[in-house]
Amino acid sequence: MLGFLTARQAGLDDPLRLRRAESTRRVLNLELNHDRDVDRIHSNGINTIDIEVIEGRYMLSGGADGVIVVYDLENNSRKPQYTCKAVCTVGRSSPYVHRFSVETVQWYPHDTGMFVSSSFDKTMKVWDTETLKPAEVFQFEGNVYCHHMSPIARKHSLIAVGTKDQKVQLCDLKSGSRIQVLQGHRGEVLSVRWSPRYEHILATASTDSRVLVWDVRRASGSLFSLDQHNGDKSKASSEAVNTAHNGRVNGLCFTVDGLYLLTTGTDDRMRLWNSANGKNTLVNYGKVSNESRKGLKITVSRSCSPEFVFVPCGSSVAVYTLHTGELVTMLRGHYNNVDCCQFHPDYQELYSGGKDCNILAWVPVVRPPDVEEEGTAAKGGSQATVNPAFEDAWSSDED
Amino acid sequence: MWTYCTGVSITSGKRMDHAQRDKLSELVEELTTSGEPQLNPNKLKEVKKICKVSNDYIEHFYHLTMTQLAQEHAEIRLSAFQMVSELFTRSHHFRVLLVDNFQEFLDLTVETDSDEPLPPPKEVARKLKTVAIKTVQEWQTTYGEAYKKLALGYHFLKQVKKVDFHDVQARTLAERKREEERQKRLERIYKDKVEKATKEMEDASEEIEECLTEINNCMKLLLPAEFDLSDLDTSTPANNSTASVSSVPNEKASTSSDLDEQPCCSKDLELQREPKNPETSTATKTNEEKEEEDPSDEDSDMEDVLDEDAFIRNTGLISHKYSLDLNLSTDLKLKETEENEAVVNTMKDLHKLLSTKHLPVVQYWVQVFTKAGVPEPLLRRAIDFKSSLERALQKHEDLHIDYKARHRRVMKAPEGSDDDDDDFEEVPEKEGFEPHIPDHLREEYGLEPSTSVASKKPVQPQVKCPATGASHTLSRPRKRATDEEQDPTCAAATLRLFKQRLLPQPPSTSSAAGGHVDPTYQASDPSEERDKAPVIPFGLDLYYWGEEQPTAGKIIKNSSQHQFWVPNEVEEEVENKELAAQMKSRYITFAGRFQPVKHRCKTPMPNGALCERQDRVKCPFHGPIIPRDELGKPTNPEDSVRLEKEEWKRREDQPDWRDPELMRDIELATGEDLGSSKTFGKGKKGKGKDKKKKYPNLSDLKKGVNTSRSRLGKKVFNPSSMRRVTDVMNKMDKLKHAKFANQFNYALN
Repeated sequence: MLGFLTARQAGLDDPLRLRRAESTRRVLNLELNHDRDVDRIHSNGINTIDIEVIEGRYMLSGGADGVIVVYDLENNSRKPQYTCKAVCTVGRSSPYVHRFSVETVQWYPHDTGMFVSSSFDKTMKVWDTETLKPAEVFQFEGNVYCHHMSPIARKHSLIAVGTKDQKVQLCDLKSGSRIQVLQGHRGEVLSVRWSPRYEHILATASTDSRVLVWDVRRASGSLFSLDQHNGDKSKASSEAVNTAHNGRVNGLCFTVDGLYLLTTGTDDRMRLWNSANGKNTLVNYGKVSNESRKGLKITVSRSCSPEFVFVPCGSSVAVYTLHTGELVTMLRGHYNNVDCCQFHPDYQELYSGGKDCNILAWVPVVRPPDVEEEGTAAKGGSQATVNPAFEDAWSSDED
Repeated sequence: MWTYCTGVSITSGKRMDHAQRDKLSELVEELTTSGEPQLNPNKLKEVKKICKVSNDYIEHFYHLTMTQLAQEHAEIRLSAFQMVSELFTRSHHFRVLLVDNFQEFLDLTVETDSDEPLPPPKEVARKLKTVAIKTVQEWQTTYGEAYKKLALGYHFLKQVKKVDFHDVQARTLAERKREEERQKRLERIYKDKVEKATKEMEDASEEIEECLTEINNCMKLLLPAEFDLSDLDTSTPANNSTASVSSVPNEKASTSSDLDEQPCCSKDLELQREPKNPETSTATKTNEEKEEEDPSDEDSDMEDVLDEDAFIRNTGLISHKYSLDLNLSTDLKLKETEENEAVVNTMKDLHKLLSTKHLPVVQYWVQVFTKAGVPEPLLRRAIDFKSSLERALQKHEDLHIDYKARHRRVMKAPEGSDDDDDDFEEVPEKEGFEPHIPDHLREEYGLEPSTSVASKKPVQPQVKCPATGASHTLSRPRKRATDEEQDPTCAAATLRLFKQRLLPQPPSTSSAAGGHVDPTYQASDPSEERDKAPVIPFGLDLYYWGEEQPTAGKIIKNSSQHQFWVPNEVEEEVENKELAAQMKSRYITFAGRFQPVKHRCKTPMPNGALCERQDRVKCPFHGPIIPRDELGKPTNPEDSVRLEKEEWKRREDQPDWRDPELMRDIELATGEDLGSSKTFGKGKKGKGKDKKKKYPNLSDLKKGVNTSRSRLGKKVFNPSSMRRVTDVMNKMDKLKHAKFANQFNYALN
């Protein structure tokens, strides 16, 4: 650390280097922090969370009870102890609340004054954050599993929506109408993602084991479908279609630069694809337990030197290095299945929500003071003074 | 576990004493497999002592206990949990370790994952759960702030699993919900039932009430008004018809003369009331009621008062301190007669209706109402119905109505036709014995004009008259009666015979009146023998009993079997011996009588006892049973010789090297199992006993599996029987194929 600092001071290093090194270190030290809490508002499992990218301050969460909550993540109290307060809530008493489980929530990428939520009540609502009233409601024929707005789009304001229907719908926020339908899947669409690199590129994952990549300007069909065997016909078992997984594909995530695409499927595998040509990079992540019947929200770290992937895996969150597939750690803290996780790019924090109604904040451990002379004994002592619960309590008769 | 242990030893080998660590493992295993609800405090103290030394031991201890917690046995888990809770309050390091893996811990102890229920035995598992929940709450209050995951786990239990920490049962929400739903469903069912029953009651109540009134009215009609039915139970009413005087014989003797002079009709009372004097007897007789119901107590009291003077005067007995015991039967006896026939018929029908239809229905209502807990008036009404129905039925029982055997009646000819001077009078058709003979026909039958037994009419006036004439000679009708009684073809004789048989102590007058040899005695003798004789089924032999049969056992045989073509009339008669015998003889199988076996096998057994089996001929283990003495040695010398020979033969069958003693020696020397216990030890020791149970203190989980189903399953599903069944089925299959092989339909598959 000191080396990085001096190098930075001397101007030897790229400023990015220090930043990367420190953020990587922080990500590797993620831990369930005692000082950080998130208000428990949801009375049922949490399906989705989203942190806005403009300030990095507000977080949305959608629960299986239909409730949407906005949290303030920023700690202005100057104390280490902080509980993320719920700023506002679309509770069950609200007349506009989703009737069934909210599956996806997303901030409008350019402004926190608006966010979009979709639910199993077959609607997608565009909300005004100030008034907490829906500005627009889209009705669909089937349950809405997911939707996504392009984070970089300038030329369009399309929301891709995956429903129980096989067709991927494109809704235009400008006109408030469904303008296009992408046909190609043969099953429910569980996950959709816009490329963060090209604003017209969209990836969709479905229960038919396929992942299709589209260019929405093209009317005729998808660009290509991801093939887990990279066209090796000998391995593909007599199937005419290319499949990305041997089960439902329910998780989809582009890397931050948009060059790679991660998918997870119910075959307990995670695959990394080259998003430009759809080649399987064959990174082996091992078994990634995945039993979800709905979409799974996975996330990747940002500006670390090896990038990391955070995947909900049973009741814990697995952290893998993106390109080597090495399991770094398992973040264990939930008491039931984890459904979603979201990486906070500014503070290298991770928020995860699960069926146990908890949103847990995984905060990097603060580097212990590098004071040599005091040693470990003093540290233990100071800890003991902080909290008597950490003390050992051996009774005297046990010697 | 072992892999972990080696890992520990690598990481912290230098700080951890190997011996101590092994001792710790041993202690943990001993403590967890003790199977006791409480841990042994001494051992626990030792464990704590070791753990106190360094964190490495704690780590080791943590892993040991976690593996024990994962065991599929609730007792092990409970003990392990107790140890965990001991250390949890002591060591921070242990807390960190445990809280880090708190999900799994909760899974294993509180049953948070419904897919992985706690292992059997059930009671221990329940206890473990309650204890664990309680402990978690305690931990939360003490350490909840310091250990985040502990708090999270607590909240998870509280809010997601909805564990009520105050609920002793510690049921999760799902369980409670299930219980609630069950309750609700039951309620709904009950509600439906109640509604149905209420409706039914509405519909049927009128009918039932009608029935009840009807039957009550019937009863009122049958019984005199003053006779209160409600008194029936109190057994006050006296019944003179059954009252028999069991007074001292001399008194009887004194009155017998009176009796002699009594008119015949009074003697014909089926059950005679013995009058103490003529006056009182007349008094009573006048009081006699239609149904032979009798005056109540008051009457008899009055009698007693009257008695006092009359008694001395009439009998000449000075003392009237004779004790007079009256057996007053409380039973009413009601006989169906022509007059009350209609009423009785109605009553019978009503009774049937009430007991078969209404009462069960009402009982069902009451049952439904009590179960469902309906408003009181409804229930009360149902109960009222039930009780009134039961009362009515009880009354009916008390009446003891003697229903007449139903027989067809020919309608009597109209009055006018009677005037015709027909030689033959139309009489009601009779079938055998007529219990009731109309008065105008009595004479014809040779009966006294009135039989008060059957009729409910008031006693004829002539009953009274003989009381005045003490020394009345046999009147004309009486004479005739005796004459007729002599005639065996007359009904009177039969009746008399019946009477005599019915009265065990015929009054002395009867013999005087009869003056002939009592036929009952003669009749009773053969009947007794008849009782003794065996009953055998009727057969051909009985059919031809005592007859010589010329055709017995002969069969006509046609030599030609042709249908149309008949040769000369040659009928061959073949005598079949068997058939002939069958005609004349009878097989009676003599089964004999079962005689229990008294002897025992008494062969000396390896455990020193004697075989206790009581087989008749042959013991399945020790061969034919021979007489043996108390030590089990054969008493007959030839038997012992034979046994010895057999023993030798068996020894020879076994090769030398398999001599069990030799083998045991070798085994002891080499330490290898050669199977000595198998060869010879079969009778001596059960094979299973050799295998030592690993943890004898734990309750055996497999023991519960020993149900009839599992035993049957063992038989049915064991490989050999399965193979047998498949063999048979295959064979059947093959047969089918062979049979229908030429049909393409079967040939294909």
